[in-house]
Amino acid sequence: MIDIASPVKVRQIAVSDKLCKGCYLCIWACPWDVFEISKERNWRGVKKPVAVRIEQCRACRLCEWYCPDFALQVIVSEEEEKRIKEVEEKYEKPWFDRLKKRDKIISKGVWWLED
Amino acid sequence: MQGDEALVEGSLIAGCRFFAGYPITPATEIAERMSRRMPQVGGIFMQMEDELASIMAIIGASWAGRKAMTATSGPGYSLMQEGLGYAIITEAPIVITDVQRGGPSTGLVTLPSQGDVMQARWGSHGDYAMITLAPSSAQDMFNLTIKSFNLAEQYRNPVVILADEVIAHVREPVKIPPLDEIEIVERRKPDVPPEEYIPYLPNPSEWVTPMPAFGDGYNVLAESVMHDEFGHRIGINHAAAERMIKRLYYKIEKNVEKIAMYEKRYLDDSDIAVVSYGSTARTALRAVREARKLGIKVGLVRLITIWPFYDKLIEEVASQVKAIIVPEMNMGKIVREVERASRGQAKVISVPKVGGVLHHPDDILSTIKMAER
Amino acid sequence: MLSEANFEHILAKKYMRTEIMPHAFCPGCGLGIIERIILMAFEELGQEEWEHTVFVSGVGCSGWAPLYFRRDAAHTLHGRALAFATALKVSRPNLNVIVVMGDGDSMGIGGNHLIHAARRNINLTAIIATNMLYSLTGGQMAPTTPEGARTQTTPYGNIEPNFNLMELLKAAGATYLAKWTTYHFIQAKNSIKKAIEHKGFAAVEIVFQCPTFAGRYILGKPDPRDMMQWLKENSIPLSAAKNKSPEELKRKIVIGEYLHRTDRKEYTERLKELEEKARR
Repeated sequence: MIDIASPVKVRQIAVSDKLCKGCYLCIWACPWDVFEISKERNWRGVKKPVAVRIEQCRACRLCEWYCPDFALQVIVSEEEEKRIKEVEEKYEKPWFDRLKKRDKIISKGVWWLED
Repeated sequence: MQGDEALVEGSLIAGCRFFAGYPITPATEIAERMSRRMPQVGGIFMQMEDELASIMAIIGASWAGRKAMTATSGPGYSLMQEGLGYAIITEAPIVITDVQRGGPSTGLVTLPSQGDVMQARWGSHGDYAMITLAPSSAQDMFNLTIKSFNLAEQYRNPVVILADEVIAHVREPVKIPPLDEIEIVERRKPDVPPEEYIPYLPNPSEWVTPMPAFGDGYNVLAESVMHDEFGHRIGINHAAAERMIKRLYYKIEKNVEKIAMYEKRYLDDSDIAVVSYGSTARTALRAVREARKLGIKVGLVRLITIWPFYDKLIEEVASQVKAIIVPEMNMGKIVREVERASRGQAKVISVPKVGGVLHHPDDILSTIKMAER
Repeated sequence: MLSEANFEHILAKKYMRTEIMPHAFCPGCGLGIIERIILMAFEELGQEEWEHTVFVSGVGCSGWAPLYFRRDAAHTLHGRALAFATALKVSRPNLNVIVVMGDGDSMGIGGNHLIHAARRNINLTAIIATNMLYSLTGGQMAPTTPEGARTQTTPYGNIEPNFNLMELLKAAGATYLAKWTTYHFIQAKNSIKKAIEHKGFAAVEIVFQCPTFAGRYILGKPDPRDMMQWLKENSIPLSAAKNKSPEELKRKIVIGEYLHRTDRKEYTERLKELEEKARR
């Protein structure tokens, strides 16, 4: 157990319910013993790692970098949070409507399967 | 001009700017001439390490926005079957010339055959449709090559030119019309922004989507696994797989009337029809003419498009004659299709020929005489 | 505070098709780390480079990795990725073409294309992800399987020696070569950056953990954490390996930058010269 207070204040270590598969490479990578495996399974049946000792986190981001599923991010400041939202708006959003457009067309039935 | 040379010139006029191949008799002349001509017109010639690479290379060039072709013969064409499937599922327009030689295996290296007609239709695994054209003169090699590129671009499907050793090496006069009289189909590019473009979902009443090139910013996936409309792998989504396979199949088979080309000769008053294609059609024409001199009412149907098979044409002919004779330089392949399409309305007689030699007109003539009796 | 329910890492949001994620890899699979290494390299190279990049991959687990990138990508046939990529590169020389291959794609079925791409010295970046066996089909012997290892098709131990990919490519004529593991991701990222900027055939081999099959059958370590530890402990830098005997290097991963030469002419440049010659 490490009980030296971290010089960095980490705002949040976000672990995604959608992406995390519970390989715990983040726990293996963390030199500061920040994580603990959650007791409960989430809706995907995964016992996610939880940053229970976030005050020990130095934001070295090893957990983030060794996460194979892009499920985890160390968010140190409000600015970083804002950047994530900006990226989401700019790069991710425009593509999601395509799915809806396709589903709308397909739900009516495609012409080459008729008759 | 030699048949092979006519093919090269035709492809350059059609806009072909990439050729990848591997030397194989009797298609080597195509690669040789391409290597000389391609750099002169700003195209790229590449001699690949094998046929597997050749076909993948032309698919790569096709996705990079170029019109591309390769040329090979039987053994090489067998190797290309895996890549052919990839071109079909990603709807990449390519042209493959198969200069047929005798098989199986290495077979009769320098001698002609028509043994690959069924392979041209069914060679790769799975369900798909193919366009296959059979030239029977050097002029055809020129014309049909341009036509093949047009069909490939229009239907986003591979097109096979099924030549044989005779047609490839024949020296005949070839008439090249003024360039502005030649119809050339260019590839359609998407006209919507990338976020709205759905790579594999065409507009109603269309069969294929416009095709962007790699690097255009459309984020397309050329996916070899069965995919949905975005090109995303679907795993076990039966409905999406059915949609995909049926569209690939129907886009050719339901447009057979638009694609099919054929030539009818002396058929109006005939009781007997000879159905033929490729170099055999030349011998068949001679036999038909000789039979006509003898007073036998016989006509000729030359199939220019072999696949998709134009059932309606054969059905029509069969309703009009009492016998159909199908001479082929194989043990009898298209004859089965003719028999199926004629629906028992006429007697179908096969005239097979193997061993790497053309029919003698007498072979066909004697069958015509026999059928007349 | 951000909601964790549908959270994705910022790199994923920026560069990946998040609508089809989570990806299909097993928990703890190293291919996700390889994806991240590539994206980190592009984060440093800049958006401009990213927009001039296309991906080509073969078949296998590794073939799925670049399909999650929001770029043009071709999932080609098993082993034929390099043939496709070669034509793509010569047709559009301004594109960065990155080819992601696995054991089979590169050294098994695609071995011929690999040596010929290296011989041509065409400006491609080959990222060769090796995991010591074929994992998409369930853990069979690959050209990288260590001698004696048990897999699904070598139940009595593998009797075949494995390839030394770096030496093979050096002999074939590649001009940039590096080998790392997923543990050494910073070094791997730097190598990939160099490889993309390098003019000529560049190959970066990345040994990644496959806990499901390599871990279970070859190493007896089905936990990804144990396998990462194994990668860490069994990697030897090139400089240290020089003084070791072949016996000592058995079952070790020799990592480092193997080759960086600029004296061989690149293929698309040769093609340009050829075109000028033909037009004269």
